[in-house]
Amino acid sequence: MAYSDKVVDHYENPRNVGSFDKKDTDVGTGIVGAPACGDVMKLQIKVEDGVIKDAKFKTYGCGSAIASSSLVTEWVKGMRVEDAAEIKNSQIAKELSLPPVKIHCSVLAEDAIKAAIADYQAKLAGKSEG
Amino acid sequence: MTSSEASPPAPLERFDPSRNHFERLGLAPAVALDREALESAYLERSRRVHPDRFVTADAATQRLAMEHAAAVNEAYQVLRSPLRRAEYLVKLGGIDLDSSDAGTGAPKPTQAFLIEMIERREGLEAATEAGLEALEDLADELADEREAIVDAAVKALESGEVAKAAEALVHARYLARLADEIENAKESAA
Repeated sequence: MAYSDKVVDHYENPRNVGSFDKKDTDVGTGIVGAPACGDVMKLQIKVEDGVIKDAKFKTYGCGSAIASSSLVTEWVKGMRVEDAAEIKNSQIAKELSLPPVKIHCSVLAEDAIKAAIADYQAKLAGKSEG
Repeated sequence: MTSSEASPPAPLERFDPSRNHFERLGLAPAVALDREALESAYLERSRRVHPDRFVTADAATQRLAMEHAAAVNEAYQVLRSPLRRAEYLVKLGGIDLDSSDAGTGAPKPTQAFLIEMIERREGLEAATEAGLEALEDLADELADEREAIVDAAVKALESGEVAKAAEALVHARYLARLADEIENAKESAA
């Protein structure tokens, strides 16, 4: 499998690896998995006044999955929550030049950021605890 | 049984790509496949289509023999492994674990299971720091667990519960990934 330079870069120097306390009310956590390959991805955002101040991830999977989640954490920092919810997997795949067999990794990253936002918004609405 | 080397090989039948692995070896689809029946079916068929028997035949026949031989080998490789056989039976039952299609693809595990998978990575990090022995314990534990999951999938298939078997096999895939990571950690620690 030939990875693009950008994938290799994110894989070798992943940005924003780590965790926030998922109980914090300003933190949204998304945990998603790819059943076919067993990859797991955790992506978290820290929000202040509707803006994502910080983002962290932990991904256990292939280089493309790590790169996709690393890229998303880079992108969403400084974004408004509703704008981050608009990120599409096709944008991730394009930026990283993912081959067709690795498109599902970008889908996973899109699912993860959406799940993190949903978790944050649910906390905000006081409906549930992540 | 007399040797057939002197006589010309029996002509090959047309290659039918739509045959499943069981049909390819002339076996009835079964979860609990008789190991000896599988071995003898494989040997018999691979002997019959072996490309070595067709070295003097025309190019088209040689290609056909190759095609048959490759398919027979693939069928044997899939069916001899209890895990791969179970996955294959699930596929014949309409669920393709390699697909993420919402209807016919691998079923999504629960959020609780995914959280557990993340937490167990944290456990792996701790074991890595503790050293090789802790990693080996983790690996042994996981091997037992994976075996139990395959058993559960086999039981589900035996009672015709394809969806339940698919669920177990998806868990097995997540655990296989975890097992790879433990092996990597062991190699670095050794």
